Amino acid sequence: MKKTNKNSGFKVPGDYLDTFNDNLLNKIASEDQSSIPKNEGFKIPESYFNSLHKNITSKLDEKPTKVITLKSYKKYYYSAIAVAAVLLLFFTIQPNKPNNINISDLASSEIDAYFEDTDLGLSTYEIAEVIPVDDLELNDVLETTINDEDIVNYLDDNTDYINELNIESDEY
Amino acid sequence: MIAEQTLIAELKQTETQAKAFEMLVNTYKERLYWHIRRIVLNHDDTDDVLQNTFIKVYKNIHNFKGESKLYSWMYRIATNESLTFLKSKSKKLGINDAELQQTMVNNLKADVYFEGDEIQLNLQKAIASLPEKQKLIFNMKYFEELKYEEISSILDTSVGGLKASYHLAVKKIEAFLKNE
Repeated sequence: MKKTNKNSGFKVPGDYLDTFNDNLLNKIASEDQSSIPKNEGFKIPESYFNSLHKNITSKLDEKPTKVITLKSYKKYYYSAIAVAAVLLLFFTIQPNKPNNINISDLASSEIDAYFEDTDLGLSTYEIAEVIPVDDLELNDVLETTINDEDIVNYLDDNTDYINELNIESDEY
Repeated sequence: MIAEQTLIAELKQTETQAKAFEMLVNTYKERLYWHIRRIVLNHDDTDDVLQNTFIKVYKNIHNFKGESKLYSWMYRIATNESLTFLKSKSKKLGINDAELQQTMVNNLKADVYFEGDEIQLNLQKAIASLPEKQKLIFNMKYFEELKYEEISSILDTSVGGLKASYHLAVKKIEAFLKNE
């Protein structure tokens, strides 16, 4: 390129053009830094990666033992089921035996006592699963029966606002 | 490094499994560590998640069909493990995801394994303010320098979608840092 500066009186500092490239690069670098830094500042403990494989294998070695205990429980379950099945066959296959005891021979008081004394540990969900809620009537869970008149009287005395009853509007 | 196919075959065979697994851990531990660390931020949590990730890989290698690359499969496990970890953590603390992100960043100040200055802390705050997917994409592209194609196979998102998300994330972070 031809130099076109024909002594117009302008001057530049002595080393300006020589150092221009470096200055420009520095400027670009500093602009870059002001946007998003590349270094996040996270550190890791010394020699962490050296021991990692060992830690993982020791964990892997631990875990199978748990699996074995679960399996051995399973074996007990199977044998328990087998025993129960054999007993069931034993009782059902001999219908002519005079002293044959079955579930209807158990006095209901004994069954009630068993349920009273034994904590079955059932959650409300488990109970709900076995008891058919659809077939239940309110009176099944109450000790004394309530007639409609009592309910109306109660509501008359105790309800200030009809809205509390959540009755659909077309029902009254 | 031996070829991926050979490594997978060795991982599936009982006799060669232990050695191949060591090779696998040594090859991927650092990359996966940093991937997880950028999601859960704290070293001890990262250690837990990383170990669980490798254990899952070890136990499920038989189910690995080879439809994707081994590393993208592992990255996917690591990502899922990290996100699940954070979900259970927020549930345990009884706070929502955004509150957990805030707490995690605030904890960095007292973290012995964080030596960042004000700028780096602000950067973490900015990243924490992003939606989950944008955060993952930003970290994978900006810090882990993965290719869009690689991120696409890990996150199961189109390359176009990734580019748009990354662009948005960068803009948001720059704006956040400017305002701080």
